[in-house]
Amino acid sequence: MNRSWWYRFSLLLFLSIVAIMAVIPTFFGFDPEKSEFPVKSKINLGLDLQGGLYMVLGIDFNKVYRDEVKNYIKKVEKTLADEGIGSQIGELSVIDPEDPKHTLTLSNVGQLEAATDKIDEFYSFPLRLVGSEGTTLTYALGREFKEDIEDNAVKKSIEVIRNRIDEFGVTEPEIVSLGEDRIVVQLPGVKDIERAKDLIGKTAKLSFRIVNEEVNPATLQTWMETSEKDGLVYKRGQRFSEYALQMNQKFKDEIPNGFELVFKKILNPGNNEVEQLIPYVVESTPSVTGEEIQDAVVRIDPQDNQPYVGITFKSQGAKLFEQVTGDNIGKRLAIILDNNVYSDPVIQSRIGGGNAQITLGQGNYNDLLKEARDLSLVLRAGALPVELEFQEQRIVGPSLGADSIEKAETAGLIGAFIVLLFIIIYYKISGVLAIKALALNVIFVLACLVGLEATLTLPGIAGIVLTVGMAIDGNIIIFERIKEELAIGTPAREAVATGFSRAFWTILDANLTTAVAGLMLLNFGTGPIRGFAVTLLIGIACTVYTSYFVSRLYFEFYMARNGGKKVSI
Amino acid sequence: MSKFNISFVSKFPVSVVLSAVLVIGSLSLFFSKGLNYGVDFRGGAEIQVAFEKETQLEELRSSLDANKFDSSSVQRIGSESQNEFLVKVASNEANLNQVTDQITKMLQKDFSDKGSEILKTDIVGPKAGEQLRISGFQAMAWALLMIMIYIALRFDYKYSPGAIVALLHDVIIIVGIFSLLGKEFSLQIVGALLAVIGYSVNDTVVVYDRVREHEEKYSSRTLKEQINGALNETLTRTILTSITTLIVAGVMYFMGGGIIQDFFFAICIGVIVGTYSSIFVAAPTVLFFDKITGKKGDAA
Repeated sequence: MNRSWWYRFSLLLFLSIVAIMAVIPTFFGFDPEKSEFPVKSKINLGLDLQGGLYMVLGIDFNKVYRDEVKNYIKKVEKTLADEGIGSQIGELSVIDPEDPKHTLTLSNVGQLEAATDKIDEFYSFPLRLVGSEGTTLTYALGREFKEDIEDNAVKKSIEVIRNRIDEFGVTEPEIVSLGEDRIVVQLPGVKDIERAKDLIGKTAKLSFRIVNEEVNPATLQTWMETSEKDGLVYKRGQRFSEYALQMNQKFKDEIPNGFELVFKKILNPGNNEVEQLIPYVVESTPSVTGEEIQDAVVRIDPQDNQPYVGITFKSQGAKLFEQVTGDNIGKRLAIILDNNVYSDPVIQSRIGGGNAQITLGQGNYNDLLKEARDLSLVLRAGALPVELEFQEQRIVGPSLGADSIEKAETAGLIGAFIVLLFIIIYYKISGVLAIKALALNVIFVLACLVGLEATLTLPGIAGIVLTVGMAIDGNIIIFERIKEELAIGTPAREAVATGFSRAFWTILDANLTTAVAGLMLLNFGTGPIRGFAVTLLIGIACTVYTSYFVSRLYFEFYMARNGGKKVSI
Repeated sequence: MSKFNISFVSKFPVSVVLSAVLVIGSLSLFFSKGLNYGVDFRGGAEIQVAFEKETQLEELRSSLDANKFDSSSVQRIGSESQNEFLVKVASNEANLNQVTDQITKMLQKDFSDKGSEILKTDIVGPKAGEQLRISGFQAMAWALLMIMIYIALRFDYKYSPGAIVALLHDVIIIVGIFSLLGKEFSLQIVGALLAVIGYSVNDTVVVYDRVREHEEKYSSRTLKEQINGALNETLTRTILTSITTLIVAGVMYFMGGGIIQDFFFAICIGVIVGTYSSIFVAAPTVLFFDKITGKKGDAA
């Protein structure tokens, strides 16, 4: 054997060892975290194999635009009223659904200029004036504002969803964007689609509401005890909003007018279930909503080295916030996300200038930092009101997945066995060499799946099985070439060499064209189809290596052993 | 120097007519009868339910009717003893979002004694259905285009149309068979079609490769003779590869279980049709294009 052979053999040996190491945790199913074994990862099973929930959520931008323009016209009306300019909210026009328009009619024609100036001052970013007729002004959303929504909607929605999913402790959730207006959510192991949808489907609405301190904690405590005695408790799996509604109805006579009962959930850190509910009485209409927030970041106080959350408000929000805090010093301000109290800082002083700080009390530095990070995420992510539409929902029960794996594995093994038999009978010793290369091929494909952290789906298994059928093709091409050479009287050693070199481009061309189809599948396919494309592509790469290079190595060895005199083919 | 010496070229007129009949038949089936689109493309809900105890189709149907799933249909999956059913709810059902919830409640109420289990649920909104259709079509169109470019670059432009015609031929016939048998056409079948495209082009390229070799080696012969020689020389390989692939796909079809059965049905058909087309469709098309481009050359 020459030096080149030894080089190539060493490479094969090295790759084989790496590949076998990579697939050991998957095959023997031990817990790699606890063992000394260097490879920690196993093949990820797709949802169709391990059971779980797959959803595609779409953002209806046209609806977002409608909501936004309505929202802002309402704010404009309020701002103008504060300035002593009377106005009447007009109608929404959706003739162009991508650019909805809203009218606003001023009560006094003399204030037209003052009104447009004021609107320009505060709302030049979110709104643009598209028409003015007498006292009626028509507004649409600002162009940059719309672009801003489009750019951030998906990203922020993903943040919101992840935050909510994390709160409920699903292991290994996958939340990724799909194109510009869709989000894919995969929750392995989750079966209760309704609950999951409740969890992520609703728009995150963030608001700041003043806590009514007149209702003292003792009263709240009695309410909780009475309701519990009457059997009104929050049950696991129940919609929380339903419970909150029942509680509000039960105590509607006791709750002061214009206020309502909301709750803070204390979760059990172990199983993430609701352990305790802390009631609050807060104003029904929020003083400030999440839309007023420009940004929220974690900061560290240099004096006592404590983390806190710094909020920056948008211009009109800053004004509102200053007013609200000034009027309610000493009271608590509940930060409410989706009707759950997230935090309840006490208002220490009037907060002007559009910057607020939320301190988090005492505690372990890392815990506080984590809390600050979560809160800033909630504040930022909650700032965008996007409604998500369920476009696809797929659930696979766990038993079906296990059943699928079992059946596909058995069928795959039987199929492979018949192919082996066929090839060995047809090609004799050469057939055995081909089978060796084929077995290596399958191990390489699985090792690549581990290495690339790709997900194995049922179509993915189909892809591997198909690879087995097609991988043998490379060997068939080579062997037929060698046979042809032998038939015209070429000596064995030369016949093998010529067979291999002639077959190379054929194999490469044939596999590359298949790879082209696989690439397109990967690029345009969705969901489980991508799984098929991934294994097909990996399979093609491994096939070219094993059926050509590895077989050649075997053959050179085989020819050297028998002196290159004959070949059993 | 081949074991075979079959005159494929002389049989081309017959094969071309046969293929034309099959393709036209498939297309007319596609446009008249259409495809039984799965929930992926049609939109709507599909729920796979299994019962522990014996359950009749009629019981499930009447329960669905009683619960006002008006535009729903039920079918049995697998054998009678499996007690597995597929419930389909049309996409115009306004409350598509609550379907799972409602079916679960219905099963708990009406079949509490039979041990029901929802194995799988697929709910696809009309918008997603449209997107999935588009992405499936795009994947196929791009795959064909890229293959065409690759072959034109690596071989010769006259080979490209042959490969594409052969691939379209294969895809159309599979679609026709799915239409004829009323088998459900789902996203997975699109995947299978792409796998068939991959397989069939592989086959065709192997033949082309040999034709190209003959063009160099036996340049004095006519293209017809070159093609015939190449087809004979690659015949063993063509048949062997088809057999090995068919073995695996066939075993998967018979034993792989419900979900992938249709996938491998499409693959099996595709392997057979793909093998045929690489000999009897791709090669005649190369001859045809050589003829028309050749004539142009003469005129100039």
